[in-house]
Amino acid sequence: MISSDPTQVTRICFDNIEVEDMHKLEVAKKHGAYAFLPNVLKDFDADKIIDEVKTSGLRGRGGAGFPTGLKWSFVPRNTGKPTYLLCNADEGEPGTFKDRDIMRFDPHLLIEGMIMSGFALGVKDAYIYIRGEFLHEYNVMCAAIDEAYAANLLGENILGSDFSMNLVMHRGAGAYICGEETALIESLEGKAGRPRFKPPFPAVEGFYGCPTVVNNVETLATVPAILEYGGAWHAAIGKPNNTGCKIFSVSGHVNKPGNYEVPMGTTLRDLIENYCGGLQHGDVPKVVIPGGSSTPWLLGEHYDVPLTYDDIMKAGSFLGSGAIIVMDETADLVAVTRRLAHFYAHESCGQCTPCREGTGWVERIMNRLDAGQGTEEDVKVLFDASTHMAGRTICALAEGAAAPTLSLLKFFPKDVQAKLVEKSS
Amino acid sequence: MTELFINDEEVTVPAGTSILEACRSNGVEVPYFCYHPELSVAANCRMCLVEVEGWPKPAASCCTPVAEGMKVVTETEGLEKDRAMMMEYLLINHPLDCPVCDQGGACKLQDYAVDHGMGKGRYIEAKRIPTDKDLGPFVNTCMTRCIHCTRCVRFADEVAGTGDMGVLNRGDHMLIEGVVEDALESELSGNLSDICPVGALLDKPSHDVSRPWEMTRHKSTCTQCPQGCDIEIESRDDEVMRVRPAQDGVEPWICDRGRFVYDAFRSDNRLLQPKVRQGNALKETTWDDAIAKSVELLKDKRVGIVFSPDWSLEGLTAIRLLHDVAFEDCKVAFELHRRDTRPFAFEEGLSMSTKAIEKADQVVVLGSDLRQRLPILMQRLRKRINGGKPVTRIGSMYYRTNTIMAADALIRPRDWAAVIASAMVQLTELGKLAAGMDAWLENVEARHDAGKLLADALISDSCALLVGEEIRSHQDAAALIHGLDLLMRAAGHAEEGKDGRNLLPEGMNAQLLSPMFGDLRTSAGDLFDAASKGELDTLLLIGSDPVGDGLFSKQAKAALEKVDLVQVSSISGDMGQFANVQLPASAYSEVEGTFVNMEGRVRIADNPLRSLGEERPMWKVMMRLTQALGFEVPAVSLAEIREKILELSPVLTELADAWSGKDVQAMFIPSARNRKATTLPVTASMQGLDIVSRYSMYREGAWARASDLLSEAGRIHAMDDVIVHPDTLANLNLEQGKLVVVAGSEEAEYEVGLRTDVSPGVIFVSKRGTAGDLSNVTTAELKGGQ
Amino acid sequence: MSSSNQPCFSEKRLAEIETLVKRYPSAKSALMPVLYMAQEDFGYLTMETQQMIAGVLGLKIMEVREVVTFYTMFKEQPHGKYLLEVCTNASCMLNGADELYAQMKETLGIGPGEITEDGLFSIAEVECAGACAGAPVVQVNNMYHENATAESMGALITRVRAGEAI
Ligand SMILES: Cc1cc2nc3c(=O)[nH]c(=O)nc-3n(C[C@H](O)[C@H](O)[C@H](O)COP(=O)(O)O)c2cc1C
Ligand code: SF4
Ligand code: FES
Repeated sequence: MISSDPTQVTRICFDNIEVEDMHKLEVAKKHGAYAFLPNVLKDFDADKIIDEVKTSGLRGRGGAGFPTGLKWSFVPRNTGKPTYLLCNADEGEPGTFKDRDIMRFDPHLLIEGMIMSGFALGVKDAYIYIRGEFLHEYNVMCAAIDEAYAANLLGENILGSDFSMNLVMHRGAGAYICGEETALIESLEGKAGRPRFKPPFPAVEGFYGCPTVVNNVETLATVPAILEYGGAWHAAIGKPNNTGCKIFSVSGHVNKPGNYEVPMGTTLRDLIENYCGGLQHGDVPKVVIPGGSSTPWLLGEHYDVPLTYDDIMKAGSFLGSGAIIVMDETADLVAVTRRLAHFYAHESCGQCTPCREGTGWVERIMNRLDAGQGTEEDVKVLFDASTHMAGRTICALAEGAAAPTLSLLKFFPKDVQAKLVEKSS
Repeated sequence: MTELFINDEEVTVPAGTSILEACRSNGVEVPYFCYHPELSVAANCRMCLVEVEGWPKPAASCCTPVAEGMKVVTETEGLEKDRAMMMEYLLINHPLDCPVCDQGGACKLQDYAVDHGMGKGRYIEAKRIPTDKDLGPFVNTCMTRCIHCTRCVRFADEVAGTGDMGVLNRGDHMLIEGVVEDALESELSGNLSDICPVGALLDKPSHDVSRPWEMTRHKSTCTQCPQGCDIEIESRDDEVMRVRPAQDGVEPWICDRGRFVYDAFRSDNRLLQPKVRQGNALKETTWDDAIAKSVELLKDKRVGIVFSPDWSLEGLTAIRLLHDVAFEDCKVAFELHRRDTRPFAFEEGLSMSTKAIEKADQVVVLGSDLRQRLPILMQRLRKRINGGKPVTRIGSMYYRTNTIMAADALIRPRDWAAVIASAMVQLTELGKLAAGMDAWLENVEARHDAGKLLADALISDSCALLVGEEIRSHQDAAALIHGLDLLMRAAGHAEEGKDGRNLLPEGMNAQLLSPMFGDLRTSAGDLFDAASKGELDTLLLIGSDPVGDGLFSKQAKAALEKVDLVQVSSISGDMGQFANVQLPASAYSEVEGTFVNMEGRVRIADNPLRSLGEERPMWKVMMRLTQALGFEVPAVSLAEIREKILELSPVLTELADAWSGKDVQAMFIPSARNRKATTLPVTASMQGLDIVSRYSMYREGAWARASDLLSEAGRIHAMDDVIVHPDTLANLNLEQGKLVVVAGSEEAEYEVGLRTDVSPGVIFVSKRGTAGDLSNVTTAELKGGQ
Repeated sequence: MSSSNQPCFSEKRLAEIETLVKRYPSAKSALMPVLYMAQEDFGYLTMETQQMIAGVLGLKIMEVREVVTFYTMFKEQPHGKYLLEVCTNASCMLNGADELYAQMKETLGIGPGEITEDGLFSIAEVECAGACAGAPVVQVNNMYHENATAESMGALITRVRAGEAI
């Protein structure tokens, strides 16, 4: 049970994550699933829900950290067009694996969050776009949705209310870019997932040109607790402007990699040492990628940074999706960067010139550098080719693609130098 | 309106304009590749970056809307570096083959590389090598040069409506590809080479033939269809090398017919010297000799004149003058597709501009294969439909349009009266009446459901009626058009300024034909019949090819076997085999003259190409004949011809201003109206199946047939000679295969193709081979073959 | 699995597709699920299959081609009965994925894009599977095998070759 005292709260989405068979409706109900839903359908209206979510300070957990209540308030009402709610379960950012656990262990939490959010937004049809590789999770979700339909938690007149909503699972098929919300929309429309430029924003013109909200799994899974305990309750957890708890997916050179949900503001050191069993080698990490591979690197000197959007930004990076990749002194950073460069070249959708050509170019240079065939000139070109993709494209993939190389060049020039053909003095 | 600053200058543009468009409309240059004013915004090249004060990163100007007070800067050091980098990214996979590339000299990539590039590329890895695609006879591909701007893909989706170009793969494996069987499905495919900013999609016919800088450009008017597009003819040493849409023309595109007909200009089929028949062969001779021979065949003979309307107004006027002076009593025909010569309530030509048609509340197409006949008008309709505005269609075939009709009905030609009658009944019920409707209705018993579609569209504020060839060439056309006129009056679409009555014409200068020649109109069929019966001695064919074109080819053949032929033309064509004398007339690219398109839009050609041989402008040929025949010459100069035009046709007085240099952009010659043309329909009981003759843009017209390129496309796009709906056969208990078409007393066997998009009860015939002989009949029976 | 005959969905499939299409505002959205169905039924997506799908959903062939070629999980080439996909992205790499991948290739005697002679296996290097806590991760026909080792994968291969379930 989540405590109604915010100072006692340590987990929200993962509150029941260890409960056996929690994916079954019967079990989930025993642990409080859908208990508060009738109250929401009866006593809440759109404005009240949006206000609560605004008050809660909840920020999107998919990567950008955009305030959820504010995003919802941008959705125009009475346009004569349907409004769609899309759950972003594409989870493709290297290092991220949190949404998977919510879906396979506690699918009803997500479903309940979507019913409540859909109710707030006047949604008739909602979709969960899940990455294609998550076949098991897809099956678990489908089964849970079937159970929810059977229990009148989805479909026509939910629990006897006026509210009706359908929920459909939709599988992606191996394209990281489809996690970007407008690419996700394109993909859900049955097209190649190429991001759209903005404006217009999806809130106004999204899925098939209709108002559309895209939210991450974790974001939507937080909504039931916010409505049950109140926005103010949520706002009191964590730190101002960085409220609530956050799941961190920790991987790499730690002894106990895994998902850990902690109140925002927990320090990186605390998380790694007290939850993840410490580093595999040494006392201080060499590099920590704090928010998924697309975020700039933090160094050992940042070990005590509190895990909040604002503090990590101050340290020069982003909290992103909360995917923390830890590298200790044994890591070959040039090799890691080479591998990430390959990832972005492989995943670029190809539409923007700098991203299409730049990611491939960077990968080829990194291959050479890593193979010990690079030159000084290559290093200069690498810097130029990376710098000029960032921020000049339709979506943020190119910026993410530039982050590893730019971090490597900025913080570890010596590691690069060591692999060049002709080493300079 | 939004006020903003571009490079510190205050400018005002409509709200919602993109920064790039704001720059363009204010003369500020911003480099770009993927943007195209006629296509949706893709924002993928990232070349159009500008800086906006207060924004952390440069913005793509093509997809960023202006905002009040925004401060935009287009030239900074940072932007120069960005542009240089964009060029470097683009060039890493682009071959450095400008010297052998047709686009060289007219290439955005090349220009920008000079303006914004760094000089030397730093990329040292292997380049991407995509394979080239065969996109048919018109478009050449060299995909290594592709910069992935997706203009071609958007063109295929949005303009051509075919969706047969696409983007495969992703990242730097991304490929632009066409899914084609034999050739791109579009009648607009030639535009692809124009919109490709680099040398990836090129004009196939002119491939490796010439370079942009060798070309001289001549503004001209295309006479290949009544649209009369503004074109630019590119020539090298007086030889036509290419035809392209004019830069500042009314329409951004031209069709493949108008573009690729250019190879006919220099084909062996061109008539460049006077010729006279000696035995089986035509021999080149002098003008004097040829004129003398012509006089022999024409002087004091019973002469029939058949001319085509695509000559310049000056040429047409000269034909009229020749007639009035020398052949006052002879028969004249100028419409190879009109069976009914009674005056029409509204004659050939449009009452609206194509832009107005695009914007009307409702558009109804009655019996026209618009994509083949007026591809550019069809494109306007497609644009309209993309913008969410409906088009309704009724006709004997779901002619392919590459877009979606809001309402669509299949009927047989004999059903037109019933369709109009049903619409009249419905308008009457709504209290919308016109004097004369009762009388019309009394003559038609049958009613047809499709009338509802027509009536539904008519009860709107503005409605453009596009009346096509199925009605125009109908045996009872005058009555049908009177009926439509009544409907339009009843629904309030006939008043000035709201006139939506448009009769789609067959050829160029259509708006002029009725005013200039209406009083002389004879049916071409009757004229040929008279000739075959021995009532005529000589045919004077002026540009016309009645065997290859129109409905009367069988009769024309019979006539030509019988009489002498004096042919005045730019193309020798199939008439060559019949001609006793050939007089070469200058092509439309080679004359100074006036052209009026179906909208009534005026164009004056004043920059002609030089003649390749001894051909003369039509007016000169006509005047020379007049003189040789012993009559006083009515006009000896272009100026005098023009004076005659004003004398003969009062509706054309405005042209005086045009010739004296006034801007012709806003000048429209109205199409003719005959208030007294109140022909009532005849109730004839008809047997058998209706015949409709198909039109192919690649084949119709002597110019097209003289073009190898269009002929090749015609072969690729050809359909069966005779087509029917499966139900038609089922109703007759026939199986598909070789079947016999019985028309009157004659029968012939054909391989009959099946298609579900034609109306049951209709036989579609192409004009190829002997099937063309069926064009003239209106009904036929079908029975089993051997 | 694929045949030279024209591929064709079963009646049951067509009924499924009909229901599926209704879940979306437009039939085009059903394209990806239908491609998965086709892959299940026919193994991989030949041009003929793609053409057939375009027909079933009322799409242009280009619309189908664009999607098939964009997504890595849609296959235009045949692969072994078991597709072993080794994640070699950062977290897996830091935990020995490159070595694992090399060893597996050696055990199977094939490289990416190839099929073992018995038709049982293909192998590929893939991007982050979203299960980095279990690095290195190997997917066997989208079943996750976490904390994979050369031994555990070798054992799996042996089991499959012996005809046992995995
Ligand atoms: C390249 C790229 C990949 C992304 N991948 C994901 C993803 O896998 N899951 C996700 O929830 N958000 C992803 N995002 C962020 C989404 O665009 C979007 O911001 C998010 O789904 C909004 O949900 P939220 O407000 O609940 O965070 C990605 C963004 C980019 C630019
Ligand atoms: S930045 Fe890259 S991934 Fe994003 S839209 Fe542009 S090309 Fe596609
Ligand atoms: S013109 Fe703006 S991105 Fe291409």
